[in-house]
Amino acid sequence: MNDERDELIERVARSLSSLPPKNPLATARILATVRARRAQAPSRVSIVLEWMRQPNFSFASAGMLAAAALAIGFVTRGAVSARDEAAPLAAASASPSAPVIPAANTDAVRSVPVPITFDAANAKSVSIVGDFNDWDSTAAPLTRFGSNGPWTATVKVMPGRHLYAFMVDGKLVVDPRAPHARDLDYGSDASVMMVNQP
Amino acid sequence: MKALNVCTVAVIAAGFVVAARLGAQQETRVTAIRDDATRNVVMEQLTRAKDSGLPAGAMEPLMAKALEGVAKNASSKSIRTAMDLLQKRLRKANDLLAPSPSVDELSAGADALYVGVPEKTLRQMRQAAPRRSIAVELGVLTELVARNVPPAKASKMILDLMAHGATGAQLTAMNSAVQNDVAAGLPPEAALDRHGRGIMSLLPPPPAVSGGNVRPPR
Repeated sequence: MNDERDELIERVARSLSSLPPKNPLATARILATVRARRAQAPSRVSIVLEWMRQPNFSFASAGMLAAAALAIGFVTRGAVSARDEAAPLAAASASPSAPVIPAANTDAVRSVPVPITFDAANAKSVSIVGDFNDWDSTAAPLTRFGSNGPWTATVKVMPGRHLYAFMVDGKLVVDPRAPHARDLDYGSDASVMMVNQP
Repeated sequence: MKALNVCTVAVIAAGFVVAARLGAQQETRVTAIRDDATRNVVMEQLTRAKDSGLPAGAMEPLMAKALEGVAKNASSKSIRTAMDLLQKRLRKANDLLAPSPSVDELSAGADALYVGVPEKTLRQMRQAAPRRSIAVELGVLTELVARNVPPAKASKMILDLMAHGATGAQLTAMNSAVQNDVAAGLPPEAALDRHGRGIMSLLPPPPAVSGGNVRPPR
């Protein structure tokens, strides 16, 4: 009887100790969500307002800072192109494997980072295009998670309903995991993304 | 030869004049369009929209619509038609969501009209929330109607939920639940009824109207 029980316990222990197979898509989604949360750091405006509320804030020090900023601005004027103005946001908050892409037409204070994953094992390049980045295939490239895993990125999008698609090796592809919207204007459907206010 | 040169100069000059009337950012995006015919159509449509008094914010969805067409390899004729129709919807949305709709509200309002949301619903939604963005609410309503919920039914539910103070997150959760039920075979109207009532049961009753010409019930 004891032997039988020991055998049973051993079998249970064996089955419990072996981990289930990893789902790379689920892992990528979790990591993309974590990155998106990280990207949702306090806005520059709120940091400045918080600083102004500090008891040791003085207008003299603020003035000196502003003067220094102006001087630096004049020295570096022209060195940074208009398109690059949005780049620091991406560079500051994202690792090379998961870029945080600033939306082209959005107000950075209110836009929401949205984690994106797409499964395309044989693709060579994937980007997300939509009304939030002017359907520009160079604006939001996805990076592959691992050597053969899903493609991920984080895009910053304003709250509301948005239409998008993936550009996979130069071809537009709808997201199989999202609802589709009929396009009567151009005849090729798009996927729908609903973004909440944070 | 001389006439050709004069024509070329005239075309370039006209391009500069049009570009000068557009914003610098828009100009960059317009000039990035490779196809000459499409680029001219987009410039012409944006200028027309500006001249017709559409607010500056409405240029963004118009531009996005044009560039969507470019990404989808649409002909310049299709892009012209799409921009023209969107311009009309944006103008209508601008009136219905007055006095000062945001870019996102204008775009969401135009999308709502595109799928068949009644015009009066947009006006009622603005009245229900005059001082905050209703882009999410409009987006949820658009999705419901696009999934074949009758527009009048969807409008009533969204307006009721707004009156009860439902949040954008609650509305988008309801929308997802409705879509799941529809995918599982439930009629869209029944799915909305089920989940709309579910959310309504979690919300407090709308605040009673006080003052004015409100008569107490007998």
